[in-house]
Amino acid sequence: MRNWLRTTLWRHVIGLLVTFFAIFPLYLVILSAFSSSGSLEVTSFIPSELSIKNFKVLFTSPTIPYLVWMKNTLVISGLVAILSVIIGASSAFAFSRLRFKGKKMGLQLLLLVQMFPAILALSAVYVIMERVYTFAPKFGLGTQPGLLLVYLGGAMGVNIWLLKGFVDSIPVELDEAAKVDGASEMQTYWQIFIPLAAPVLAVVALLSFIGTFNEFILARLFLVDMNSRTIAVGLQGFIGGQYSQNWGPFAAGSLIASIPIVIIFLSLQKYIISGLTAGSVKG
Amino acid sequence: MLITKRFSYFAKVILTAIASTILIFFAQSALAQGETQIALFLFIATAAIIITYLTRVSIPLKFFLPGMLFLFAFVLGPVIYTISMSTFQYQTGNYISKPQSIERLLELGVISDENAPSFDVVLGKTSIGKLAILASNSQIKRYFLSTKDEITDLAPSELTLDENGVAQSAPNFTVLNGADRSKLDKEIASTRFKYQGDFFIKLEGLSAGLINQQSLFYDSASDTFKNKLTGATYKDNGRGNYANIDNPSEILQPGWRSPIWFDHYKNLVTDPTIRKPLFKVFVWTFTFAFLTVLTQFALGLLVALTLNKPFFGRRFYRSIFILPYAMPSIMSILIWGGMFDTEFGAINNLFGTNIAWFQNATFARAAVIVVNLWLGFPYFYLVTSGALQAIPSELAEAAAIDGAKPRQIFSRVTLPLLLQIVSPLLVASFAFNFNNFNLIYLLTGGGPTNLLDGEIAGATDILISYTYKIAFGTNIQNLGLASAISVIIFLIVASISLYGIRRSKVLDSFK
Repeated sequence: MRNWLRTTLWRHVIGLLVTFFAIFPLYLVILSAFSSSGSLEVTSFIPSELSIKNFKVLFTSPTIPYLVWMKNTLVISGLVAILSVIIGASSAFAFSRLRFKGKKMGLQLLLLVQMFPAILALSAVYVIMERVYTFAPKFGLGTQPGLLLVYLGGAMGVNIWLLKGFVDSIPVELDEAAKVDGASEMQTYWQIFIPLAAPVLAVVALLSFIGTFNEFILARLFLVDMNSRTIAVGLQGFIGGQYSQNWGPFAAGSLIASIPIVIIFLSLQKYIISGLTAGSVKG
Repeated sequence: MLITKRFSYFAKVILTAIASTILIFFAQSALAQGETQIALFLFIATAAIIITYLTRVSIPLKFFLPGMLFLFAFVLGPVIYTISMSTFQYQTGNYISKPQSIERLLELGVISDENAPSFDVVLGKTSIGKLAILASNSQIKRYFLSTKDEITDLAPSELTLDENGVAQSAPNFTVLNGADRSKLDKEIASTRFKYQGDFFIKLEGLSAGLINQQSLFYDSASDTFKNKLTGATYKDNGRGNYANIDNPSEILQPGWRSPIWFDHYKNLVTDPTIRKPLFKVFVWTFTFAFLTVLTQFALGLLVALTLNKPFFGRRFYRSIFILPYAMPSIMSILIWGGMFDTEFGAINNLFGTNIAWFQNATFARAAVIVVNLWLGFPYFYLVTSGALQAIPSELAEAAAIDGAKPRQIFSRVTLPLLLQIVSPLLVASFAFNFNNFNLIYLLTGGGPTNLLDGEIAGATDILISYTYKIAFGTNIQNLGLASAISVIIFLIVASISLYGIRRSKVLDSFK
């Protein structure tokens, strides 16, 4: 018994304290989302009711186009995830499998670029897209396609880097065998490499989905119109620093928006953790 | 095999043709709008696509090109553009090019004649489709039709007048309807309708016309503006404005973005109104990033050590501790923002306190650190528990045989080894938090800010959020200065990151 106290009790003490810290905000959001008062003030930390009033407000209020925001977020993040992997995979293949002059320099440059916080060039992106707007109003500042293009460019560095890391771990013997049989680089890529790398590509696509979902500043700068906003920009504008108003629907909205991300994250844990040690930090 | 080869060749040509057509189309429209740099990039991109995919110059390039074009257009291009912007006077009031500025100054450089009568106007078109106004002044009984080129006096008998004596229609004149009017909005605002001599009519709103005359005149030979009425001369002051030669502080607005080379960088050091807040923000940025990494690592390590040995409940704790990291960080930050609310927030409620968290500098800073600890400790828990397993247990056993106490083993053997493994990650996390814009912007907005002295830098502002305020703030948007600070941040972050890479020996793995 004394031994148990010494070796395990302290673990539970720390474990429970940290559990309280980790779970408190999440618990509070669930509590607020299902409370009928919808107020920020918590009268009791023990749930006494299960009301879906906040969810009703969220989906029916004409001032909160929540479903439109949800759709925008899914479309933008989904397209970025798919397109950036399609574009990034070929570069990662070249870095991982082909030999060519300037490969080392290219990798060093890529390493630098993938660490460069996109936000630093924000004013430049803003001015450039403002100019694009003058001749291509559908792709300039304030449009979703414009935002998509900027995201694709920004995701490129990190994604190629991540993909290269994963791709390096796929055995080269198979594509070497294809080469021996007389396949060109393009054939090796499409017929051998892509089928082999498909699961890895899916993982990177999902990671980039989470990354785009969490992006705030560009979305905020680009999507001014209420109906073109993403969840992040929409909910931020909706709560707008005035936490006491709208807290209930906000809690309900952020709960719904968080669930898919948490599920994706937990199911990809293994890959994310191996990516963590490669030096990438989730946004 | 032959069929697939033919098919893929065919597909390749078609795709190349489609991509080049689209790019050329945009390049031409860009050129037509005078965006030569963008047009140039698009033309080069098109040429690169055609050469790469339709010839056999380089096979690796076939794989690289799409990614490279995106990287260049939206990452490297903006970086270069940021550096160039930082050498310009580029801010509210100095936003357009010099020729545009001269055009605007001439347009604005008019003065209304106070003694002249004003007119009620109706907008319309002449029989040949020219924009025209039907002007009436019922007091002096003057009616006329005016376009930008000519003025035709009309007799009241030719017109339909309303009860106020304002002409509503005239022969050879069609009144514009609302839709046409909004279509011609720009033309209407800029048109100078003919009056007598130098004088012309400018619209005030949509139904009143005032008599104006040009007061500012531009002389392109000497590049100066002259005000005909006051006699003042304005000269290019080298900082993007025309300034009165007798009184240099009197400048004409709007100015233009003009090259000032390294003045922004110089001002960061020499101008106290810029240096003081910047220094304050600079110190807090380092403090914030350092404290964040320290607290996140300490708690992560503590949790990792706690869960290092199998015991009942370990899996439960493990799955709970990952949750903060799995949540979308934006949502978490906003939720924490609500919890720190003074009046109704759960934190004050829980501890029975009444602290105005975001109104007091120290409390706001503490809140920022606590929230960031919550967001980031699972990351360090995950990486340190991985690292702990990577340390061979023989080392600790050997130390125990040599008589070391558990505490000594930890501080002398485990911790130094652990630090060696995770130090690149500590550096990377430092660099990331150095630019953790979302946290600051969404939680405190950089505040609290001392509004009395008009300073925009708040107590929790880090360099990047301060830069954002400078570039996109509510009063003056100074893109030039913001770019200069961005360049400085980039240099800092790049050197921190390079140091981290050296330590992690990532570079050695490049073959």
